[in-house]
Amino acid sequence: MKCPIETRENAELLLAYCARTLDAESTAILERHMEICPACREFAHGQRAVWEALDAWEAAPVTLDFDRRLYRRIDREVSWWHLLMRPFRPVLAGHGLPIVAAACLVVMAGVLLQRPAGTPPVGQPQAAQLEALQPDQVEHALDAMRMIGEFSHRVPGDVADSKM
Amino acid sequence: MPERVKTGMGGATAALDYDAELMLRVKEGDGASFGLLLEKHRSPVVHFLYRMVQNHAVAEELAQEVFLRVYRSRSSYEPTAKFTTWLFRIATHLALNSLRDGKNDRSQERLDGGSSDLPARQVSDSRPSVEQAMVYRARLDEVRQAVMALPEKQRAAVLMHKYEEMEYSQIARVLRCSESAVKSLLFRAYETLRARLAHMA
Repeated sequence: MKCPIETRENAELLLAYCARTLDAESTAILERHMEICPACREFAHGQRAVWEALDAWEAAPVTLDFDRRLYRRIDREVSWWHLLMRPFRPVLAGHGLPIVAAACLVVMAGVLLQRPAGTPPVGQPQAAQLEALQPDQVEHALDAMRMIGEFSHRVPGDVADSKM
Repeated sequence: MPERVKTGMGGATAALDYDAELMLRVKEGDGASFGLLLEKHRSPVVHFLYRMVQNHAVAEELAQEVFLRVYRSRSSYEPTAKFTTWLFRIATHLALNSLRDGKNDRSQERLDGGSSDLPARQVSDSRPSVEQAMVYRARLDEVRQAVMALPEKQRAAVLMHKYEEMEYSQIARVLRCSESAVKSLLFRAYETLRARLAHMA
């Protein structure tokens, strides 16, 4: 056989051998090769050490309330969406989603086309009227103030004139 | 339970793994099947994530997210690949994101400061001496540090190969790369680990 170290394609044979997942026939062939190949022997020795070191690394057991916490999250995060979508599920079943999306687009397009472009919104005239009246009101107020001012200036003079 | 079952799909009989069959039942609203999937894959997913991020609390949090995503995706689930390929793709994606976001910063503190995540039974079952326990912890920390020092993709590949006993083709599908790329990743990863851990033989 070709040396697995020299041909990378066969390196997986060595890895499988060290993981003890290699079939019996290939194992026998590889072991015969390793008897005459120090590089493969060294590789296998080192790889076995790695394998055993990794074997010793046990993960801590999963906490007992893992499922309870998960189902609580599912209830919290998924159920509300489930309930919300329940009335629409018959429509959305199968390939309903694209149809619903297309229908929404058609309705939106219809609404936009129905509204004449030049027509102002309903609330706009009143607001415009209010805005138009405001300068008039200010003008009237200023006129009134001016008249009151003139009146108050004239009154003392008139009184003095009448005294003379 | 058989690992692989035959089921009719689209008029043709297609081989489907049992987990995918269960997931299709979940899709149809069978909550008990989700429970079976959770029971079967809870520990492998948590342990894989734990070895990826090396923090038990973070690993469990990520595992919760994995199963939550599985449940959320049930309506759009299609068995295009093995269920575990899909499951570990989600897990790997979340682990890599967590590592990049630095959410598991505490793991490094633990690596430096001792193995507080050790399963208690490892020490208590065989009643080793304090010295033996210390040697064990030191060796374990060395293993953990060696694995943690691997580039993320190499680490994921080694963990799936060693602990989940996945085939190269499946690891390739999880990591979205070619089978030859996986072989190369594993070869380089084990080479690095041999250099660091060979003295433990």
